[in-house]
This record gives sequence, structure tokens and C-alpha cells, in this order.
Amino acid sequence: MDKNMKILVVDDFSTMRRIIKNLLRDLGFTNIQEADDGNTALPMLQNGDFDFVVTDWNMPGMQGIDLLKEIRKDDNLAHLPILMVTAEAKREQIIMAAQAGVNGYIVKPFTAVTLKEKLDKIFERIS
Amino acid sequence: MSDNAHDLSLEQAKELVALLEDGKQQQANQLLEDVYNRRNDKLFTSVGQLTRDLHDALQDFQVDPRIVQMMEDDLPDAQNRLLYVIEKTEDAANRTMDAVEACLPLADDMQQRVEKVMPAWNRLMSNDIELNEFKSLCHQVDDVLKGCGENMPQVHGLMTEVLMAQDFQDITGQVIRRVIQLVEDVEKNLIELLKIFGKEEERRNAEKAASAPDEKEAGVAEGPIIDADQRNDVVGGQDEVDDLLSSLGF
Repeated sequence: MDKNMKILVVDDFSTMRRIIKNLLRDLGFTNIQEADDGNTALPMLQNGDFDFVVTDWNMPGMQGIDLLKEIRKDDNLAHLPILMVTAEAKREQIIMAAQAGVNGYIVKPFTAVTLKEKLDKIFERIS
Repeated sequence: MSDNAHDLSLEQAKELVALLEDGKQQQANQLLEDVYNRRNDKLFTSVGQLTRDLHDALQDFQVDPRIVQMMEDDLPDAQNRLLYVIEKTEDAANRTMDAVEACLPLADDMQQRVEKVMPAWNRLMSNDIELNEFKSLCHQVDDVLKGCGENMPQVHGLMTEVLMAQDFQDITGQVIRRVIQLVEDVEKNLIELLKIFGKEEERRNAEKAASAPDEKEAGVAEGPIIDADQRNDVVGGQDEVDDLLSSLGF
């Protein structure tokens, strides 16, 4: 796993962005940027050679599930691994995210160990 | 007033005069009575309409399903959500304080060990130390380094715990936003309720608003689940998410 990979963290709550950023930094990732919803994230992704996206689901503006679908629709972005970190816990939603092509799904509240596990799993599959 | 079909018209008046001039008293009386009845019919119709409107308005007032749903489900739900916020913030405060309280003795311990070494260490730095003292200094420094090596990973873990405890802000923020939404909905509905006593058209708008779609549809973001143990459409934690995804071939 390339620790220099460029990661975009998308969440409408700045505290949660900070938590995820700190946990990622703890795991050795330092090249991290933030966006507060899908509408902000999508242009950043289209212009910015990101390697990985961590996104919330429930956000004002463009929701995480729609961001996921937009990324999968875009030929230049479709390959991007996406990890969803969200409080949305309905079975239909998890299935919906899986069908839309999410690479990992973490329900809040979560632990540092869970985040590490899911990251390892996603990048193990990709390589 | 001649444009009102129920009023006495000029033609009818002329006819009435003609009948009276011809001595047709009975037919003249009949004509007058017809005109009079037609006017009364209109009055009865108007009163009837008013009565029906009032009845409908009262009926709507009592059984507007959105109001009933708010009273029965949404308001108690909002109370539960706010209680959940209290619970989450209390939990976060305790987690943070527990971690800080566990950190402080580790910091004190390090400080004490360093303080113990400092006198001999200062003598070493100013080239003023005996061989025996140097040996015991080495052991003390060894003790400090070992202590540091043991304590620091613990401090790191506790700091991460403090960091993670802050996730309450995201969860409670989402929950409070929903309660704010409910308060807005209640306000809107109360205004609509008042409008029911106004014009018919405004009443129809209120009805349209009352038939808003059910938000618990699949796929619609619902925010943090505050009653996971009482529902069977949600997962109970990360393990269930993983099971569900692996059942889908993930």
C-alpha cells in the first residue's frame, strides 16, 4: 500500500473529517484533502489525481451515495476505490451502496482498528 | 340587481301588473310566490354550503393525519432522539475524561523518574561525578528510557481514544438537525391548521402538504439509528455490515 497516495475525505462534519484524517495519519498516510459534500468533492476528484476516497453518506448538497454513482459513471474516476464511513445502517442502504460499487462500508461509530482492517482489505484486493 | 336570476325582473313585474289589470288575482299571487321561493332557495343553498364547509373544516381539524402522526410518533421520536444526544455526549465526556485520567499518572510517573535522575545527570554534564555514582546514574537513565518506552505507546493509545470520543459531534449533530426539521414541520403544520379556517383553496394546499412522502423509504438517508435494537431493517454494528456484504460476495 502506497503511503503517499492522495486521499479525499468527504464528510459534512469537520470534527469527523479531523478524526478520519488523524486516524489515516496514524496509519502513515499524509497526503489527505477534505471536502464537505459530494458537490465539493466531485470537481476536486475530476481535477486532482486522487487515489482513494473516504465518504460519508448523509450530507447536505450531494449525498455520498450519489457521489459514489457519479464517480462510477465517470470514465476517468470509475476505477477509484471508495470507502463509505457513515451512520446509515439500514440493510437496503448497505446493499444499495454495494450495488453502486462501493469498496468498503463502515458504520459509525467505528474504531481505529476497523478503519485499518477495511483499508488493508481494499488495497489487498486491488493489488 | 337585475343581473341576479333570483331577483324580481322587470318582465315579471310587467307580467304581474298585466295579471292584476286582467283581474287574474290567483295567478298574480302564484307568480309572486314563485319569485319569493326562488330567493329562499338561494338562501338555503348558501346556508347549506356554509354548514358543509364548517363541518369539513372541523372534521379536518380533528383528523388531519399528519397532525396525528406528529403527536403520536414524531414528537416522542424527537424526545428519544434528544435523549440519545444526551447519552452520546455523556458517553463522550466520560470516555475523554477516562483517557485523560489514565494519561496523567503516566506523565507524572515520567516526570518523577526524570527528576530523580537530574541531580546526578547535572553532575555528569559538568564533569563532576564519581565512578560509583556514574554506575547508579546509568541504571537510573536505563529506568527512565524503559519507562518512556512503556508509557509512550500507552499515551498514544489514550490520545487516540480521546480523538475517537469526539465522533459524538457528528452523530449528535445529525440527530439534532432532524429534530430541528421536525420543529419546522410542526410549525408549518400549525400554520396550515390555521389556514383551514380560511379559504377553501388554502385548505387544499394544506392537504397537499400533509401527504408528504414517507421518509423511511429504502435508500433515503435516515441519519444515526437511535433504536437499532428495536428494528429489524438495520444492522446492529460493523460485524453485521461485514456479514451482509460477504453474503453479497464482497
